[in-house]
Amino acid sequence: MAYSLVRSVRSDALLRSTFLSVPLLKSFSQDALVEIKPGEIGLVSGIPEEHLRRKVIIYSPARTASQQGSGKVGKWKINFLSTQKWENPLMGWTSTGDPYANVGDSALSFDSEEAAKAFAERHGWDYAVKKRHTPLLKPKAYADNFKWKGPPKTAEV
Amino acid sequence: MGFGLLALRASRTSSAINRSCFSTSPTLLISRIFASQSPNPSNRHSRGIVSTPELLQNAEATAEAPQPQEIHPPRTPLAGARVHFPNPEDAIEVFVDGFPVTIPKGMTVLQACEVAGVDIPRFCYHSRLSIAGNCRMCLVEVEKSPKPVASCAMPALPGMKIKTDTPVAKKAREGVMEFLLMNHPLDCPICDQGGECDLQDQSMAFGSDRGRFTDVKRSVVDKNLGPLVKTVMTRCIQCTRCVRFATEVAGVQDLGMLGRGSGEEIGTYVEKLMTSELSGNVIDICPVGALTSKPFAFKARNWELKATETIDVTDAVGSNIRIDSRGPEVMRIIPRLNEDINEEWISDKTRFCYDGLKRQRLNDPMIRGPDGRFKSVSWRDALAIVAEVARQVQPEEIVGVAGRLSDAESMMALKDFLNRMGSNNVWFEGNGVRPNADLRSGYLLNSSISGLEKADVFLLVGTQPRIEAPMVNARIHKTVRATHAKVGYIGPPTDFNYNYENLGTGPQTLLEIAEGRHPFCSALRNAKNLAIIVGAGLFERKDKDAILSVVDSIAKLGNVVRPDWNGLNFLLLHAAQAASLDLGLVPESDNSIESAKFLYLMGADDVELEKLPSDAFVVYQGHHGDRSVYRANVILPASAFSEKEGTYENTEGCSQQTLPAVPTVGDARDDWKIIRALSEVAGVCLPYDNLAGIHSRISVVAPNLLRVDDREPTLIHTDLKPDCQQKMSTEPFCSAVDNFYMTDSITRASKIMAQCSASLLLKK
Repeated sequence: MAYSLVRSVRSDALLRSTFLSVPLLKSFSQDALVEIKPGEIGLVSGIPEEHLRRKVIIYSPARTASQQGSGKVGKWKINFLSTQKWENPLMGWTSTGDPYANVGDSALSFDSEEAAKAFAERHGWDYAVKKRHTPLLKPKAYADNFKWKGPPKTAEV
Repeated sequence: MGFGLLALRASRTSSAINRSCFSTSPTLLISRIFASQSPNPSNRHSRGIVSTPELLQNAEATAEAPQPQEIHPPRTPLAGARVHFPNPEDAIEVFVDGFPVTIPKGMTVLQACEVAGVDIPRFCYHSRLSIAGNCRMCLVEVEKSPKPVASCAMPALPGMKIKTDTPVAKKAREGVMEFLLMNHPLDCPICDQGGECDLQDQSMAFGSDRGRFTDVKRSVVDKNLGPLVKTVMTRCIQCTRCVRFATEVAGVQDLGMLGRGSGEEIGTYVEKLMTSELSGNVIDICPVGALTSKPFAFKARNWELKATETIDVTDAVGSNIRIDSRGPEVMRIIPRLNEDINEEWISDKTRFCYDGLKRQRLNDPMIRGPDGRFKSVSWRDALAIVAEVARQVQPEEIVGVAGRLSDAESMMALKDFLNRMGSNNVWFEGNGVRPNADLRSGYLLNSSISGLEKADVFLLVGTQPRIEAPMVNARIHKTVRATHAKVGYIGPPTDFNYNYENLGTGPQTLLEIAEGRHPFCSALRNAKNLAIIVGAGLFERKDKDAILSVVDSIAKLGNVVRPDWNGLNFLLLHAAQAASLDLGLVPESDNSIESAKFLYLMGADDVELEKLPSDAFVVYQGHHGDRSVYRANVILPASAFSEKEGTYENTEGCSQQTLPAVPTVGDARDDWKIIRALSEVAGVCLPYDNLAGIHSRISVVAPNLLRVDDREPTLIHTDLKPDCQQKMSTEPFCSAVDNFYMTDSITRASKIMAQCSASLLLKK
């Protein structure tokens, strides 16, 4: 089915080429070859314009202090700085006026800083990148527990 | 292995038999059926509790089976960890699951696995505490070792072949997990740790679907550790992380292990509270739900929370924190890793001040009527009145004071606004008279917080880091513990959690040291890296310049300021203090408040308003109805640090930014926006109307504030200071912070902080 679709598009283009003026078509095909300009993806995706000019923060979430697991550490995320929230008077649930309120938290995750930057650029967002803090591994030994650390010192001199 | 999988296997074998019916001769079929019924343990489908059936087979068969040569993808250390090589020659190579890694000599097997990117399950091991090796969860198989090895306590040896995912290792961990779960209650659904519990996570991998323990589970009486830490001691697995944290990091010998065997329990020996300013961290390091947050108990589940990585403003350290919010409410604050500032810990004030963000908030612009009561008005009316009054008074009668929690952007806007009104009487409330804002090295912690670990002698002058900046104190404690560094202290009697010498209480002692008459001078002269830490509480003294010049001469005596080491440090008290001095918030006249007619308080609650003329007009812009509101004529509500983007510079000169986690309360606005709007109404419009504009203004005044996470090196000043003509008074130093738990408007509004100061405050 996909193949037939492609074919129909092709025949359509052929058909159109006979009717359309040549310079316009030329500009079309050139556009297809050039790189995507910043902000263009957001524009053609039909995202409202006010959401194409927002400020976002690209960051790599730190490990949860209470958990050892590091499976989620090292991913990069986008924080949309979305605080348009209020408690809905009807049920007390949280309402938001921002379609991106929950996107950065749950849905978007990137393997590298560059991928996140490229994504933000394509959507035309103004981004700032937060430095990622990593732990420093120093040699440790069980034997340190029993090491002689000099004569015992008195508290007050 | 569940029932479903078993059923699937059974049907597979039967279908194989059925298929063979059609293809092979009947005699063969019969022999197959018999073979499947023979008592071969490997084919029996009994429900075993272990999930490693390959171990039940002949050991020789598995050993001789050809190991397929796997091609491993390049591995990176866990969580992007950097490996510190104390001596580059002492590097050894070990093999983790066949993958070679180079590690410094002396690292443990567990650390080698971490470098190879293999996460070893663990309960008792914590990278910032000493090694206990008592939970046995980190067992791995090491080639040529007869038994599984506890990787956390075993030093890695050159050429060691470590196998982390073999059946032997898995079986060993499953055995440990079964014993751990034997006495652990099945109350995950009502446990606050549920969802972020190490025991829960690891039982998913190594736990069985049922237990063989039929006896009664042991029960342990809960302990009362104070208003911050909730205990459910039956959940405890005796990893002793909290005991080691209390002794090694917090420096209090409060917690310990009592009893033996199944009667073993964590406790405080005698009934008492845990009196440490870092006690909240035991909540994080507890791998189970035995120690949880008391104020957060049953308030939310952690998967409902939205995390925002931001900065703490309750002291000048600028600890890295994560604000967890649910909807428009801050639910909790937990630490975030930053090796250079707070490692993985935060103070109790940082962790539990969040309930102050929900109380006493100013949510509407208000004007005090003739009857003395406040009336809510619109922003337009409030700004119009403030602008009207500001235009009527003389320029030199306008005074602006920035508060402890102000961000750099709003302080810049305040200074610009007042300067445009013709006044230069703008200052920061904790800096005292004529602060030294000329040289950055004159007010910063020059050796940096992590650099304090290099010091071997400390001289604390009029500062009590334990209550002024607990994270700096934790570094000093770490250094004293690791290297037996000497600590000398000049100031009022206080309680430190490490060995120190109280040299004296006031400037007299300082003078004795400077003249070389004091016995501590020999320690100063022999010190390789002397760190002098001067408290910012001294900035408010009248004889500040004289004291600082004496400190300078001590610094010369100890050769403190060198190209490779600058140990002359100033420990600031407030989050906004360093940025205020960088931006030059220095008043023109010393006693501007006595002649003020128009006082603009931007979150300033500790200004001495008694000296203010009674006819002065006071504008209070801030987020909490705190001390200064009683005197205010107009209130302009602003947003708190959890609700705005702001730049803060910490005491070591590292600028960091907060991010908004929750919406602002009521009709409040960001501080700089209010001043920008007011400037327009007053007819002196400021030339910026967004954050980028105000940042470009800051880049002219103090460009270092915009380089986030970066420490601008300070100039070394030795002979730049003019000679001091001041006379030093003999009045002893006083403590800069009376109550550790209540230092600013947020913490003063907090109920938890009030409980803490009632029950935990260190008795003097």
